[in-house]
Amino acid sequence: MKISNNQMFKNFNKWCFGILSTMLFVGSFNSNAQGEALFKAKCASCHQPHKNGTGPKLFQVRTKWADGGAKEGSIYQWVNNWQTAVATDPYAQTVSTWSPTAMQAFPELKKEDIDAILTWVDEQPDPAAANADATGAMSTEAIGEEGVEEDSNTWVWVMLAIIFITIIMAVGGVRRQLKIVTDENVKQGETYTDEFRSWAWKNKKSVMIGCLVIFISLCVSGILGLSTIGVVEEYQPSQPIAFPHAIHTGTNGIDCKYCHNSVTKSKSAGLPTVNVCMNCHKQINGRTPAQQEQIAKVYEAAGWDAGGMKYTGKTKEIVWNKVHVLPDHVYFNHSQHVVVGGVDCKQCHGDMTKQVETAQVKTVAELNKIEGNVVLTRPTLTMGWCIECHGEKEITTGSIDTKGDGYYNEIHKRLLNNDKKLYSKYLDDGKVTVKELGGWECAKCHY
Amino acid sequence: MKIKFKAIASLALVAASTFILGSCTSNADSSGTEYMPDMYRSPAIEPYVDYGEIRGKENEGVKGRISALVPPANTIPYYGTDSAKVHLMLPYFRKANEAFKLTHGMYGSRLSANDEYLMAVNDLNPYKLTADNSEAIFKKGKELFTANCAHCHGEKGDGNGPMVVSGAYAGVPNYTTVLATEGQMFYSIYYGKGAMGSHSSMLDKKEIWTLVHYVKKFQNSAYGTFAADGSTVATAVVADTTKKL
Repeated sequence: MKISNNQMFKNFNKWCFGILSTMLFVGSFNSNAQGEALFKAKCASCHQPHKNGTGPKLFQVRTKWADGGAKEGSIYQWVNNWQTAVATDPYAQTVSTWSPTAMQAFPELKKEDIDAILTWVDEQPDPAAANADATGAMSTEAIGEEGVEEDSNTWVWVMLAIIFITIIMAVGGVRRQLKIVTDENVKQGETYTDEFRSWAWKNKKSVMIGCLVIFISLCVSGILGLSTIGVVEEYQPSQPIAFPHAIHTGTNGIDCKYCHNSVTKSKSAGLPTVNVCMNCHKQINGRTPAQQEQIAKVYEAAGWDAGGMKYTGKTKEIVWNKVHVLPDHVYFNHSQHVVVGGVDCKQCHGDMTKQVETAQVKTVAELNKIEGNVVLTRPTLTMGWCIECHGEKEITTGSIDTKGDGYYNEIHKRLLNNDKKLYSKYLDDGKVTVKELGGWECAKCHY
Repeated sequence: MKIKFKAIASLALVAASTFILGSCTSNADSSGTEYMPDMYRSPAIEPYVDYGEIRGKENEGVKGRISALVPPANTIPYYGTDSAKVHLMLPYFRKANEAFKLTHGMYGSRLSANDEYLMAVNDLNPYKLTADNSEAIFKKGKELFTANCAHCHGEKGDGNGPMVVSGAYAGVPNYTTVLATEGQMFYSIYYGKGAMGSHSSMLDKKEIWTLVHYVKKFQNSAYGTFAADGSTVATAVVADTTKKL
C-alpha cells in the first residue's frame, strides 16, 4: 500500500486539528473549572458575579476597568496587593474608595489564575434578571386578584340579601292586593298584623313548634357563643412587613431560635431586632419585585443604603403586632417550656415551615395533625388547653431509677429517697407528668 | 301613617339582615370577643404590646410605637452571683474598627482606629476546656451552632448550609480553610466579619466562647480530646495575619 504525499499531509492535518481542538477544549474546560474553584475559595466570601456584597460585583470587571481608564495590568496588581495598585494607578485609587472595607491581598494568585477566575465570572448568567422576568409578573398578578376577591366577597352577599328581601316584599304586596281584589272575605282595613294573627291562630300547633325550635336554637347558639369568648384561634393580625416563615425556616432551614433568640433565656420568645434581619438581608435583597418591596422596608428600618452598600445610621422601628397574646392575669415563660420542659416550638405554634403568610394562632385541630405533638382538645391559648397539656406531658423519660434529667433531677431524687409510695403512685401511668409536680397549682400561672 | 310605618319596618328588616349577614365574615385582624378587657390588657407595658393605657383608658397617642430594639452597647446581662463568671459579664475589651460603622451599622459601639481583629490574634479563650467539662461544652456548642450558625456554615462547618444550598446566600467559607485563632473567631462572631453581621446582641460572651471551642473542633478533630492522664492533646494554632476586617 502506498500513500501519496498529498494524502499523508491531509491525514496529518486532520490529526493535528483533532489534537489541537481537543487540547483547546480540555484546556478551556480546565481553566473554567479552576476559575470556579478559585473564585469559591478566594473571592466568594466578599464578591458575587452579579450582586454587590462586601465587595463590588465582578461581572465583566476587566472591561469596566479598561473603560474606566485603568492602566493595563493594574487589575492583577490590585488582586495581588491592592495597595501597590493604588500607588501607581489613579483608577485603582478611585476603586479603593468604593467601600471602607479593604480587600485582602492575594499575592499567591498568578495572572493566569486571576484571568481564569474573571473568565468564569463573566460566563455566569444573571439570576436576578431571569427570575424577575419569570416570577415577578406572576406573583404581583396573583396578589392583586386575591385582594379584590376578598374585598368584594362580603358585598356580593349583602347585595344578594337586599335583592332577595325586596323580591319577597314585592311579591307579598302583589299577592295581598290580588287577594283584596278577588277575595271578599278580606276586610278593607285589615293590617298585616291582624292578618298574621288570624293565620297564627288557625295554625296554632305548627306555630308553637316553630317558636320552640327557634327558642332552643337561640339558647344553644348563645351558650356556644359564650364559649368562643376569649378564644383567639385563627387570629392573624396584619403586620408591617409580609413576613413569610415558610421561606425563612422552611426553604432556608433557619432555626426558630436564631431570630427568636431570647426564647432560651427569657419569658418572651423575642422578636428579631433589625440587625438580625440584616445578618442575611445585607446580601439578599429579594428575587421578585414583591419581595424587594418588603425587604426595602427592612433596609429602611436598619438604615442600610442598598445602593451605596453602607449603613447611614438613620434607623426606624418596625412595629410588629403581637400574635400570641395571653391575658394579663396569666404568667407564661418561654424559657421554662423550651429549655427545661424541652417542648418543641411546633407544639403551640404549629409547623412554621409551611406558614406562607404572616404568623397566625393555629387551631388545635391543626396542631394535633403535627407529628410528635401532644394531642389536645381545647381551643389554642385557652386555660383548658394549657392544663390539658400539663396533665399529659411527661417531664422525663427513662427507667424509674434513672428518671430525672437535668432540671428535674433533684425533685425525682427527693421523691425516690423520701416518698417512694407517692412516687410509685405518680408512676401508675408509667410517667411523671407536669401536673404531678404542681403543674395544676393555680399559683403556678396566676399570681 | 301606616304606610310610613311599613316602610320603616321593611327598612329595619333589611338593615338587620344586612348586619347579621355582614357579621358572618371573619376578620383575621380581630382577636375575637374579650370578656373583661381589664383582665386581659396589661396596664404595664408588656414585651411588644403597649396599649397606651392610662388609668383604665387606652390612649391612641401614647400607644407603643417601638418594637424589638437592640440592647444598648455595654449593657450587662445578669448571670447570677457566681464571682468566677464575672469576667463573662464585663463588656468585651476589644473595640470595633471605625469602618464597622458603615459596613456593619455599629453606630452605638465603641470604635477604634486600629484594626483590632489583628490585635485579637493572641486572645485566649477564658472558658477553659478541661477533661471534666469538655463533653458538656461541646454538647452546648453543638446546640448553639445548630441554632445560630448551621443555616449558613452547614452542619459540618463546610460552608454548605441550607441557605447556601437553596441559593439564597453565597460565599460562606469552609471552616477547615479559615485561618483564625480563637481570639479572632470571638472577634468575628462578636463584631461580624465580611458579609457576616455582629452576633453580640444574640449571644452572650460565654456562648460565643463555647461556640469558638466547637468551631475549633471542625478544624482539628483532635481538639479538646484529653489523654488518659488528663493532659491535653497538642493542637496546632493557625493565625490569620493577612485579613483585614
